[in-house]
Amino acid sequence: MMNLPTREQAGVLIVSVSGRIDHTASEEFTNSLEPLLDRCVQGEPPVLLDFAGVDYISSAGLRVLMMASRRAKAQQGIFAIAALQPLVQEVFAISRFNLIVPCYVSVDTACKVLGA
Amino acid sequence: MKRLAGLLSAAIRAGRGRVLPLILLLAALMLLHGIERTPLLSVRETLFDQYQRHMPRARDSEPVIVVGIDSQSLVAHGQWPWPRDLLARLITRIQAGNPLALGIDIVFAEADRYSPELLSSRLPNLSPDTVASLPDPDRLLARTLAAQPTALAVIGLSKALPGSVQPARPLPAFQGSQGLENRLPQYVGALASRPLLEKAAAGEGLINGSPGLTQAEPERGVLRSVPTLAYINQLPFLSLPLEMVRLALGDGAVAVDSDAHGMTGIRIGDYRLPTGPNGALLLHFGQASSNYYLSAADVLAGVHPPEMFKGRFVIVGFNSTGLQDRIVTPLGDSLPGIDIHAQVIESLLGGNALRRPAWMPLLEMAALLLAGLLLIATIPALPPRYALATFVVLGLQLVSTGYLAFAKGLWLYDGLTPVLLLTPVFILLLANTLIAADRQRRMAELALQNSREEQARAQGELNAARRIQMGLLPEPARRFTGETRFSVAALLEPAQTVGGDYYDCFLLDGQRLCLAIGDVAGKGVPASLFMAMSITLTGMLARRQPDLANAVRELEQELSRQNAESLFVTAFITVLDLASGRLEYVCAGHDAPLLLRDGQVSRLDTDAIGGPPLCAAGDFPYETGNMQLLPGDRLCLFTDGVTEASNGRELFGISRLQATLQASIKAAPQQAVAALRDAVRAFEAGQAPADDLTVLLFEWHGEKISER
Repeated sequence: MMNLPTREQAGVLIVSVSGRIDHTASEEFTNSLEPLLDRCVQGEPPVLLDFAGVDYISSAGLRVLMMASRRAKAQQGIFAIAALQPLVQEVFAISRFNLIVPCYVSVDTACKVLGA
Repeated sequence: MKRLAGLLSAAIRAGRGRVLPLILLLAALMLLHGIERTPLLSVRETLFDQYQRHMPRARDSEPVIVVGIDSQSLVAHGQWPWPRDLLARLITRIQAGNPLALGIDIVFAEADRYSPELLSSRLPNLSPDTVASLPDPDRLLARTLAAQPTALAVIGLSKALPGSVQPARPLPAFQGSQGLENRLPQYVGALASRPLLEKAAAGEGLINGSPGLTQAEPERGVLRSVPTLAYINQLPFLSLPLEMVRLALGDGAVAVDSDAHGMTGIRIGDYRLPTGPNGALLLHFGQASSNYYLSAADVLAGVHPPEMFKGRFVIVGFNSTGLQDRIVTPLGDSLPGIDIHAQVIESLLGGNALRRPAWMPLLEMAALLLAGLLLIATIPALPPRYALATFVVLGLQLVSTGYLAFAKGLWLYDGLTPVLLLTPVFILLLANTLIAADRQRRMAELALQNSREEQARAQGELNAARRIQMGLLPEPARRFTGETRFSVAALLEPAQTVGGDYYDCFLLDGQRLCLAIGDVAGKGVPASLFMAMSITLTGMLARRQPDLANAVRELEQELSRQNAESLFVTAFITVLDLASGRLEYVCAGHDAPLLLRDGQVSRLDTDAIGGPPLCAAGDFPYETGNMQLLPGDRLCLFTDGVTEASNGRELFGISRLQATLQASIKAAPQQAVAALRDAVRAFEAGQAPADDLTVLLFEWHGEKISER
């Protein structure tokens, strides 16, 4: 299991993700995300993935995010990502994944928007 | 047979392999308890004999001299029995040296042949005067015996035989403890010397061997113990050698130590010897030696100076083949019985005898129980190699404890029998361990086989996926043979495990060319099928829908219809008017292609119109971008297998891609593609590629060239 430390800030559940989310890691990432997504429902705090520690994400990693976002949407919960490193930002830009999952520049910015 | 083996192995494994060994251990305890009735007894006695062989009693001083009536004496003085005046002479010779005490290992039960009474009855013609004047050898001997403390031999008889008498000189002033009599050997009568001689002697001692000797060890006849004290008709008698010591001490006080089991030791004066409950002394034998043996003939002839006997115990007895009783000792020596008396005296003076108190068997049983439980507790948890080592170490420990106990305190501790009794316990435990190990090995083999099969299946699936993928890809050179308006080269190198890349290039009609590249996120057959659907639907919808954006939207709808695995695909699809060079394109989350124009490389502008990968959002309103190609322009479509190729530290990246393309700008597309592939592989430097590598290089020659 991937280690995903969580904390709460301004009513937002912040999940710190780190390392490379490539094809091999994506399965672990899915499993580790699972219990957090269980809590990502309407009325519960929004789930924000802090991507500051993520060096690389492959298409398999993107797929995990896509499915997480879909599930959150189905549960009417809020799911977002913040603080992308340049390389990851580039992947998001190319694949337009900011259209799939809301992305924020920093955790603070995200909290201001989501924590209302 | 198989059922029997199954039953056996089930029994061995019962209770995690510990039930049967426990039962065996209990049986072993019972066997050890009743060892006297089992063949194991001879193992134990052999072990005890071995102790003595390795550590015999040191015989540094020689307090005893044996004057043996040997063959030389018989030759010199005639056949036995000798006349008693001759014996009296022999004894006088010895007495001249003032020995501490004299013992005579001979019973003079009948009158001498030359006694006047016998002579007169055999020779009736002798006158009474002559008879009266004849010397009586018995009287002469009696006078001689009375001169110094002398002990005579008595032989206890368990049945009253003709001639059996009550010896006259029991142990004086001896207080045995209550019930001691019943533990000690008892005789109803004895063979003793004539009353005349008894009266003259200072004491009488028994010369019987161990009462158990002939019953317990009939086949070996090894003498291990000798009685110290016995009763003849309730009257106590010491054994001959002990009686000699008592006499030497000047009527030394005799006492016994005893406990609930019987005797534990005997005291004569200040000397003490430990004994068994029945008063038997377990002799610690010393190596036989002929040093202290003198021939009676030599003593009679005055060969030895009388001083030789001074301060020593002297025993007179037989030492001649035919006359003597020979005894086998634990050391394996065959000795005349008289030697035993000498060894007993040495033992008493040195205070050493072997010790096997009543609690020793309990100690042995405790050792067996503890060692057995230890084995049962540890062996099942150990691998067979260590299990064997544990048993060997434990066994050596037990056996060496016995040797150590003997060396340190002459304790007779049997460490061997417990090891023998533990062996079946250990074998059972080991059998269980081996059975378990065997089962584990089989299971490991099975697991390995399963994983190999699994791997093969997965490999087969991947191969199938690979074949689907590769089979759908066109060969541009073959498809566009003779085409002059453009040239296309493409290359897809699959990675080992992951990958769902594809490319396509086909003419929609006489003058419109469609190019497509895509990358399915996922692997295996599902990704391949998804890729197959994508490539097929792209071709079909692009032909049917005049508007490219609409075609892509419809493509997403169709793909989403059958997407149980939630896969998505990034794609770049473009349609080129070969006459005008007008380019229309849609970008669905894919890397923007590179444009090579006049030696410069730039990215195609997809920012404004780009959308997410197909099937990622579901129903994204894709839009079309436009641009005008110039003759000689090159377009490079690629997947992230190029830009994200890694050498372990960094990625190949867009700038290296641009540089590589720029370097091969003069080469034909086919060669340029190959050069790019080589550049990526060189960069990876042996690292296995993580993703498919796909490149499609297109060059529009323009209207002018095509007209030519």
